[in-house]
Amino acid sequence: MIVFFQSLLSGVLVGGVYALIGIGLTIIFGVMRVINFAHGDLLMVGMYLTYFLFALLHIDPFVSILVSIPLMFLFGALLQKVFINRVLGSLPQNQILLTIGLGLIMSNTVMLLFTSDYRILTTSYSSGSVKIWGLSVSEPLFISFLITAAITAFLYWFLLKTDTGQAIRATAQDREAAQLMGINVKRMSVIAFGIGAALSGTAGALISPTYYIFPQVGGAFTLKAFVIVVLGGMGSIVGATLGGIVIGATESLAAVYISSGTKELVVYVLFLLVLLFRPAGLLGKSRM
Amino acid sequence: MAPILDIQHVSKFFGGLAANSDVSFSMQEGMIMGLIGPNGAGKTTLFNCITGYYPPSRGDILFEGRRINGLQPDRVCMLGMARTWQKVRPLAKMTVLDNVMVGALARTSSLRVAREAAAEQLRVVRLEHKAAFLAGGLPIGERKKLEVARVLATRPKLLLLDEVMGGLNPAESEEIIQLILEIKKRGLTQMVIEHDMKAIMRISDRIVVLNSGEKLAEGAPQEIVTNPEVVTAYLGESLA
Amino acid sequence: MRALHAPRGLALLPLLAFLAVLLALALVPAFASSPYALHVMILLFLSIIMGESWNVLGGYTGQYSVGHAAFFGLGAYVTMMLMQFKQVPPWWGVWAAVAVAVGVGVFIGAITFRLRGPYFVLASIAVAEIIRLVALNWKDATNGAEGILSTEIPPLSIGGRLITDFGSKVPFYYAGLALVAMTIAANWLVQHSKLGYYFQAIREDQDAAHSLGIHLALYKNIALAISAFFTAWAGSYYALYVGFIDPSTVLSIDISVQIVLICIIGGIGTILGPVVGALVLVPLSEALRSNVIYEGLQQAGIVSEGSRIGSFLKENLAHAHVLIYGILVVIVILYMPDGVLGFAKKMAARRAARRAAAAGGSR
Repeated sequence: MIVFFQSLLSGVLVGGVYALIGIGLTIIFGVMRVINFAHGDLLMVGMYLTYFLFALLHIDPFVSILVSIPLMFLFGALLQKVFINRVLGSLPQNQILLTIGLGLIMSNTVMLLFTSDYRILTTSYSSGSVKIWGLSVSEPLFISFLITAAITAFLYWFLLKTDTGQAIRATAQDREAAQLMGINVKRMSVIAFGIGAALSGTAGALISPTYYIFPQVGGAFTLKAFVIVVLGGMGSIVGATLGGIVIGATESLAAVYISSGTKELVVYVLFLLVLLFRPAGLLGKSRM
Repeated sequence: MAPILDIQHVSKFFGGLAANSDVSFSMQEGMIMGLIGPNGAGKTTLFNCITGYYPPSRGDILFEGRRINGLQPDRVCMLGMARTWQKVRPLAKMTVLDNVMVGALARTSSLRVAREAAAEQLRVVRLEHKAAFLAGGLPIGERKKLEVARVLATRPKLLLLDEVMGGLNPAESEEIIQLILEIKKRGLTQMVIEHDMKAIMRISDRIVVLNSGEKLAEGAPQEIVTNPEVVTAYLGESLA
Repeated sequence: MRALHAPRGLALLPLLAFLAVLLALALVPAFASSPYALHVMILLFLSIIMGESWNVLGGYTGQYSVGHAAFFGLGAYVTMMLMQFKQVPPWWGVWAAVAVAVGVGVFIGAITFRLRGPYFVLASIAVAEIIRLVALNWKDATNGAEGILSTEIPPLSIGGRLITDFGSKVPFYYAGLALVAMTIAANWLVQHSKLGYYFQAIREDQDAAHSLGIHLALYKNIALAISAFFTAWAGSYYALYVGFIDPSTVLSIDISVQIVLICIIGGIGTILGPVVGALVLVPLSEALRSNVIYEGLQQAGIVSEGSRIGSFLKENLAHAHVLIYGILVVIVILYMPDGVLGFAKKMAARRAARRAAAAGGSR
């Protein structure tokens, strides 16, 4: 029984990080109706950024997110302005292919520059553990969850209480109406992609002490992000938050009770089941 | 005589909004029914319910005595009801002839037969000279005619025309009116959504007026035009 | 009744051209005995088959699958597994492989084609990943990451007469050519049938197509089945030719992306498009792989052997083909969304319009 709660708790903590990835993807989709297939590769970029800040400048990964967040935001904004913006009016198929291409460029450039060697980021507390409610969980995982919770809370505040945040929500709800109301929807798209990239990169930074870092790591996360977003309902931030936690928990339990090699398989099968039985997502709030 | 189309207490809700509210009327075979009302009255919503885009939230829709609520649009077309779109939907990268052939293929699997049927419909709407042109390149008036040809090729018994004169100049509108009257002569039943009141008065046998989702009035064109409630609903529009 | 324009029927000129090209290709092995030349031709054939198959679903029907590796890999694995583990000759085994692929395809279609939105694309990727993970982890059945090596393909005899023992590349060349001919013929038949019209209508405007009596899910599934059928053939062919398969080569997303690339580079939705795409991609990737580009740059004096850039390029250009694919995708989508053929058509139309304007203006 202890094993069950332990892996459940671990899963929920990881799920918080997954939620960040999902929220980023759903914001991009909500504002631009673009399915960002490079989302996992943005996470990978965040991982490498964190790794090098640690390896070269000895900055702790949880501290360096103060640097990575703005850098990833700018990177995302740049991608949007230079590339994504040009296909906003095109067929969704073309948008998808463009982001796939960008993702391939990112992962393969990193591979060329830094080789496919697996890298590990070990900190003093990488193998530490913390006791919560009598259950033992990984220390870096716990810290990353706290940071995730803080970021999510900030994001909610930003979207609900600030002018820009509300403008973003308005654009996501009805782009034409928002434009008629004087909102610069182009700028909202840039900001949205920047936020999405920042969230994804931050998720990468947060898991870097506990995951292998290699150029192709993004692919699985992209797909996972989609599962989260579909599970939560496309365009719903609350849904993505819940979806992330559900996926994290599912993966963790699958790794323990079935096998660690098949935990991703379980997530993809869950995805197909959701499409089969509840395509509007758990909360039924899909924007499709 | 049993009506060809019977709308019985149809309501359609989107969340809390009642786009259609307890609408009832019926149509006899061969007639032209005008469906009018201010913007947002629920006319296109009713079309969408009738043709299967979404099922009505309440009520029944009977076509030739058979309940068709919830049937998919392709089934509805095969049963004999076809509709045009308020915002025209040409199959842009296909030629005009190919567009109409897609309609004709609803009734045959032979390309040769479909091609002949399509050519015939293009002659009816007088677009045969544009047969080899890409549909996406046509001006709006010809796109509307193309859509009518395409839908006629499916050999419907009941044709629903959604603002088929919208955006046309008087000469083009007159062509459409003649087309509608010609179609009536061939025995097809038609329901026409239109804002052009003069046109509606000329072609309709009966008119149904919707306002805010409800049926406001129904009757012969002369009755409708002199109905004070209808006049109020259309405040500012000339009914002469 | 006057015909509106010349009856389409079997357009004679393209058919003759097609047969002429086939004949010419059939004679190639008689003149070019270099195994490498045959190898490149076989790669070309493979790419064309993969492209034409995807085209039926993506190009005509507008449903972009980014998970076609699923069908390719299933074709490869089922044929290989039956041959190596159950001694089923591949010319029977391939039918089982194709059946499995079509079954999986229809399964994906059944779940996603009734939904609006990008679900089909996502599900296609998910299913490809599921199959790859299964192949990777079900070691008893598939040898997992070690892959399956074909020891020997049984010799093909018909009626007691030996046709070939698959010892050289030549039988693979002809098999590939035959497959190319069949796939192109199938595409042509689809294009000139009710199926083709319905597929294109779905691509152009789903709702309009729906309202014209087209059962969307049914026709999308038919397109998917046809596409899966030929893609699985390609996978089986690849497995037999190369003689070794593992999850990372035949079930990876790289294959899926490559297939899409072949089509979009050439021109989506045309029969010639994948051929053009293959003619661009295969020489490019071979040039990268064999360091021809590096040597070319070196000979042109742009790069010197000892320099840092030089050694960097020498080491990495060969592995860079996926990076090049990514760059190509971005360039094509941004600047040539209708592919090389579409671009050429646009240029020709523009030149014709300019000429017409000039002629009119000079009056």
